[in-house]
Amino acid sequence: MEEPTVLVVDDEEDFVQTLLKRLRRIGVDCDGAYNGIEALDKVSERDFDVVLLDMKLVKEDGNDVLREIKLLRPETEVVILTGHASASAGREGLEHGAFDYLIKPVEFETLHEKLREAGRSRFDTADGRAPEKCKPNS
Amino acid sequence: MVAGGSLDSINRPRSWTSDGVCLPFPWIGAKAKAKHKFFNMKMYAATIEKDVLEPRSRNAYYFRQKVLIILLMTMVSVIPLVGISYFSFQYFKNSWIDRTSVELASLADSRKETIELFLANQNNQLNGLIDQYPAEHLSDQNNLEALFQAVNKSGVITDLDVIDQTGAHLAYVGPFSSQLAGRNYSQADWFAQTMRQGEYTSDIFTGFRGVPHIVVAAANPERTMILRETINLDLFNSLLASAEVGDGGDAFIINRNGEPQTASRLDSTATPFSPQDVSADSGTKVFTTNDYIYSATSLKNGDWVLVLKESMDTLLSEYNSARNKAGALILLAILLIATVATVLTNSIINRIRVADEQRTALNERMREVEKMALVGRLAASVSHEINNPLQIIENQAGWISELLEDEKQGRISDFNEYEDAVEKIRSHVRRAKSITHGLLGFSRVEAAEHEKTDVNQLIAETISFLENKAADNRISITTDLQENLPSIRTDPAQLQQVFLNIVTNAIDAIGHDGSITVGTRTIPGGRMVAEFSDTGHGLPEDIRKKIYEPFFSTKKGENAGLGLSISRNIVQRLGGDIESSNNAQGGSIFQVFLPVEPGSI
Amino acid sequence: MDDIRLLLVDDEEEFIKALAERLNMRDLYGQTAFSGQQALDFVQQHEPHVMILDLKMPGIDGMEVLRRVRKKNPSVQVIIHTAYGNDLEEAEAWRLGIFDYLRKPVDIDLLVDRIRAAYKSTD
Repeated sequence: MEEPTVLVVDDEEDFVQTLLKRLRRIGVDCDGAYNGIEALDKVSERDFDVVLLDMKLVKEDGNDVLREIKLLRPETEVVILTGHASASAGREGLEHGAFDYLIKPVEFETLHEKLREAGRSRFDTADGRAPEKCKPNS
Repeated sequence: MVAGGSLDSINRPRSWTSDGVCLPFPWIGAKAKAKHKFFNMKMYAATIEKDVLEPRSRNAYYFRQKVLIILLMTMVSVIPLVGISYFSFQYFKNSWIDRTSVELASLADSRKETIELFLANQNNQLNGLIDQYPAEHLSDQNNLEALFQAVNKSGVITDLDVIDQTGAHLAYVGPFSSQLAGRNYSQADWFAQTMRQGEYTSDIFTGFRGVPHIVVAAANPERTMILRETINLDLFNSLLASAEVGDGGDAFIINRNGEPQTASRLDSTATPFSPQDVSADSGTKVFTTNDYIYSATSLKNGDWVLVLKESMDTLLSEYNSARNKAGALILLAILLIATVATVLTNSIINRIRVADEQRTALNERMREVEKMALVGRLAASVSHEINNPLQIIENQAGWISELLEDEKQGRISDFNEYEDAVEKIRSHVRRAKSITHGLLGFSRVEAAEHEKTDVNQLIAETISFLENKAADNRISITTDLQENLPSIRTDPAQLQQVFLNIVTNAIDAIGHDGSITVGTRTIPGGRMVAEFSDTGHGLPEDIRKKIYEPFFSTKKGENAGLGLSISRNIVQRLGGDIESSNNAQGGSIFQVFLPVEPGSI
Repeated sequence: MDDIRLLLVDDEEEFIKALAERLNMRDLYGQTAFSGQQALDFVQQHEPHVMILDLKMPGIDGMEVLRRVRKKNPSVQVIIHTAYGNDLEEAEAWRLGIFDYLRKPVDIDLLVDRIRAAYKSTD
């Protein structure tokens, strides 16, 4: 399968720049955004397959951005990057529509694989959404 | 917020202040939280410091408290007791004296009456004789003798004398006829007084045979004759002697000048008052001194004073003995009060002391625990933050590695060095990651691997691991596992980790001699619960909320205290939750709730 | 109880030597090994009754040593003695089969107790 189109959202410029370089080197069509507003701008302009979203954003709440993205582009998969991996962090992200989450620091290979997985899932499921993950009982 | 110890929020950069200010960096939030906590701890520590006393002065302090309270208690009981007793006894004594005074006064009155009556009698008798018989008759010796016999039935009259206006004897009956023959009384005072006033009573003198006598004389209206008799006052003596004045008491008569008229039992006729204080008009007076109580009344129109004297000692002997007995009882009571006060105070203060010491110890422990938790939170926040730069380092190193791949080996000298170096960087990033993740309790980076699990079996296996250790500490582990408990889709390794953590905690909580009960059952709502109940020391309210915080541990030193926080994370990731409470025996109950897939067996 | 064959495994030489001395004072005489490989060699040759095993060691780490010893010399009673309180590792160690799992710092008397108990449980 070919590489998914990816938008990388993180407020650390270094990280975004280098990650984009590495992704492009292996043929991923990608772009970057340094904050939530910019991310939403770019998402509304272009239909990315996957958005890699760092939850730790300076100006905004990662969850809010996640929700906005899903509202804008319900079919776009979002993989969230977090320093936490507690149950409720993961749950919250998944509840807001994330495909899955990764805990920093994550190696490039793992990250890439997850992005591909998200991209695949988008085309595998009928409604373009990820299969339901373990949801807590309400 | 990391520093808050809740790993729940995803990097939500909010501070712990309630104004909801969105701080730019989580780290700052962490500092604010930590500062907040520090502030509290400082205040808290300051309070504790005041309670802590040096061991030496602590002993003195408690001793002082005891002495103070004992003294206070004793005084509060004793002073009223003594005060009331004292005043009661004073009152009693005074009223006793008063009563006795009244009795003494009336005794004096009655004696006075008798005496005055007697004297009046004798006077009347004489006057009667003078009235009845003419002078010539009386002057006849034989007549006089006959009369004498007649009037002297009681033997009170010693002699009877008839004297003419010249002072010469006309007739005489009595034992002194020889001595008095030829005597002339014209010069005598009594003669003049009798001639003048018509009558005369002498003072008391020691007369015939040492017995007190008085002379009573009366003159006829014509003043031609005086009838004179000497009366023996044995009667007086007997009257006085019979006066009930008790031991140490006395009764006597003195004249205006204080000269004794009768004998005194105690050989003393001194009075604290002057005889002139007592007059015919003043009635019977009572005088009290420390030693005696006196009642004095005037006789013979103020010429004499009858004094009845009663000894205070005798009077108060009963009172004194009562008072002494009461005094002894009071002393006993004081002793009793002091003893009881001492024992009680001792016991109470000792208990207070023990409580103080326990509280100090508890405070210290709490401080330690708080300190450790604080350290833990800081460590967690640090680890957390490090993950970010680690990510970037990894990214950069990876980039270099990829770039190197494109380079031809020959073009760069030390190519291998670069490769090795980069690989080392990445390897140490992995190492750093494992440290921080281990510290933060992220046992798996990936999502949990789920498989069909028989929870009963898992529990049984877990218990078997710790059987030995439990038995060694005389702790019994019993199970009450629902027979047809459905298998659930979960991660058995992680779940076992949770069970292991809970049972180990239970064993630690008990220490020695106790029991742990493990039960499983399905509950409505598509869930099951595994319940772990122990007879350990239980969870006090304020600790119960904190046990899930990372690094919180009530055990000193050992165990970073991550167990429960990780366990709860695991269970929540598996779709369930952990709840804790206390059981009836004061131990704790941990309940692990897990979802049961519908339709599974 | 002098005839307990005891092996102490830890990569911190100073620490393990000190521990050995303290155990000596309590009538327990143990050999020391400073790495996983040394431990395995010793177990092969002398098969101790009880082994005190640290987990975090360079090269062959404690968990691997445990695995191999459980396979080849299952009669050896293993007591894990580690600074890292990772419940996951503990669970895994239990599953492999250990006598007890103690976290550093451990009370010396407790350790002696457990060693003796472990020895007793060998048939």
